[in-house]
Amino acid sequence: RGSLSSRSEAKSGRTDLIFLIRFRHCCLLRNQRCILAYLYDRLLRIRALRWEYGSVLPNTIQFHMSAEEVEWFNRYKKSLATYMRSVGGEEGLDLTQDIKPPKSLYIEVRCLRDYGEFEIDDGTTVLLKKNSQHFLPRWKCEQLIRQGILEHILL
Amino acid sequence: QRVLLLVASDVDALCACKILQALFQCDHVQYTLVPVSGWQELETAFLEHKDQFKYFVLINCGANVDLLEILQPEEDTLFFVCDSHRPINVVNVYNDTQIKLLVKQNDDLDVPAYDDIFRDEEDEEEDSDNESNGSEPSEKRRRFEEDVIERTMKRRQRREWEARRREILFDYEQYEYHGTSSAMVMFDLAWIMSKDLNDMLWWAIVGLTDQWVQDKITQMKYVTDIGILQRHVSRHNHRNEDEENSLSIDCMRIAFEYDLRLALYQHWSLYESLCNTSYTSASLKLWSVQGQKRLQEFLADMGLPLKQVKQKFNSMDMSLKENLREMIEESANKFGMKDLRVQTFSIHFGFKNKFSASDIVYATASLMENIEKEGPETTNFIKALDSLSRGNLDKLHLGLDLAKKQLRAIQQTVASCICTNLVISQ
Repeated sequence: RGSLSSRSEAKSGRTDLIFLIRFRHCCLLRNQRCILAYLYDRLLRIRALRWEYGSVLPNTIQFHMSAEEVEWFNRYKKSLATYMRSVGGEEGLDLTQDIKPPKSLYIEVRCLRDYGEFEIDDGTTVLLKKNSQHFLPRWKCEQLIRQGILEHILL
Repeated sequence: QRVLLLVASDVDALCACKILQALFQCDHVQYTLVPVSGWQELETAFLEHKDQFKYFVLINCGANVDLLEILQPEEDTLFFVCDSHRPINVVNVYNDTQIKLLVKQNDDLDVPAYDDIFRDEEDEEEDSDNESNGSEPSEKRRRFEEDVIERTMKRRQRREWEARRREILFDYEQYEYHGTSSAMVMFDLAWIMSKDLNDMLWWAIVGLTDQWVQDKITQMKYVTDIGILQRHVSRHNHRNEDEENSLSIDCMRIAFEYDLRLALYQHWSLYESLCNTSYTSASLKLWSVQGQKRLQEFLADMGLPLKQVKQKFNSMDMSLKENLREMIEESANKFGMKDLRVQTFSIHFGFKNKFSASDIVYATASLMENIEKEGPETTNFIKALDSLSRGNLDKLHLGLDLAKKQLRAIQQTVASCICTNLVISQ
C-alpha cells in the first residue's frame, strides 16, 4: 500500500521517490526469492520423506504440511510408483529398498529406542526394547534403520 | 524358528555368547539377545518373551536350580542350558523333554542315580478296608496282623529310602563349584560342526582365562584346559614365518606364552602392575611398610632401576625387557612367589595391538562392572560385548583404563581395611 501510493505519487511527477520505489521493489524481489527458496527446500525435504518413511507419512509430519504440499506428495508418490512399475519386468522394482548393496540376508541390529512389537514375515512378533539385540532379515529392518530406531551392528 | 538367548553377566558368558552368535549367523538362525544379571531378571525376561519364542538358550545361568518350577513354561518350550555352575540340579539332569544340557563329555558330574532320588508316588496308605464280611474272628485277626506288619515294613523301607535320599542329595549339593567354561563348550560345538575360526578360539581362550582369573577353577583344571586349547591354537596358527607363506601383519594371530602373572603389565608400568596385582601384593604384603621395603629389595635383586620400572612398560630399555620373565621368576622364587609365571595365550594383529588373554579379561570385566551409569543397566553389557570384537579397539582401551582404576581401587580398599583393623588375621 505504501508502495502503491508512492508509485501513484511518482507518476504524478515526484521524481525523488523513484529511489524509494526501486529500493522497495528490490526488497520485495528479495523476499520473493527467499520465500521461493524456502518452499523449494520444503518440497525437496518432502520428496526425501517418501524415501525415508515409505508411502504413508506419520501423522506428526503430515500435521506440519499444507494441503498443497500433501497433494504434491501424493502426486510424487504416484509418479514414483508408475516409474517403479515400468522398470524391472512384470512386478516392477522397489527402488526404495537396498539403497546400499546388501552383503547378507540377515543382519544383526540393536534397538536404540523403545519401539514395541514388530511383526516379521512369518507372523511372529519381536519385542523391540531399548538395547536389545536381534538377528533379523535385512529387508524388514531397513525401514527402521533409516528411521533411526535400529542400528546395524557389524561383528 | 527363532531363539531367545539369555546371557548371564560374566566374561565367560559373553565369550560363549559371541561364539554362539557367530554360529547362528552362519546358519541364518534368527535370534534375540537379552542380558540377565540375576534370577529376578531371568524371570522377568522369560515372562516378557515367552509368548514369542519356543526355544530358549541359557548361557551361564539356570543349571543349578529347578528351571521348570521357577519359570513355569508351557509344554512345548525347549530350554538349552550351557552353564558352568555346578552342581547341576537333578531335576534338570533327568528331565528328558524340556531341558537339554550342553556339557562336555568327560566332565564328570557325579549325578546320583535316578532310582536313588526319584520314586513314583505310590499310594502307600492303603485303607485298611480289610474288615471284610463273613469271616471267622480268628482268621480276621490273623489277616489284620499280617496287614499291619506289611504296612509297617513298607513304611520303614520308605523312611530309610528317604533318609538315604536326603543324604545323597546333601552330599551332591553341598559344595558349589564350576565346570568347564561355557565358551570352551561352545567352541567345541563349533569345532564339531567344522565351523571353528581363530576368532572363536580366541573367545574360548578368554572365557577360560576369566574362570582362572576369578579363581573359579583349580590350577590343575586350568592347565588341562590350556593343553586342549593349545592343540587348537597350533592347528589354526601354524603358518611358518618364511617370506612366501606368511600372513599379512593385520591378520590375527594367537601365540602360546609362558607369561608373567602381573595384571596388565604391558599396558602399564611394571611397578604399578606389581603393586596392583593381588598375587604379588598379598605375597609381599604391600600394605605395610616392610612390604614396601621388600618390594624395593625385590626390584634391586633383579637389577631393575626404579626409574625404568616406574615408566610405561613399552618404554623400558630393551636390554632390561629381554630376559625379564626369567629374571623375575628367579627373584620371585627367592621371595616366596612360586607361581609368578603362568601358561597363557596372547593375540596380536596390526603393528600396535598385542594383548594377553588376562588383559582382555580385566578390560571386559571392568566395562561390565562400571558403576558410572550412563543409561539403563544393559548398556554396560552391550559395551563389554562390543569390546570383544576386534573392530572396537577404542572400547577395549577404555576398558583397560577402567581396569587399571578398578585394580588400584581394590588395592587401596584392601590396604585401608587391613590397616584400620577391619579385617584381622586369626
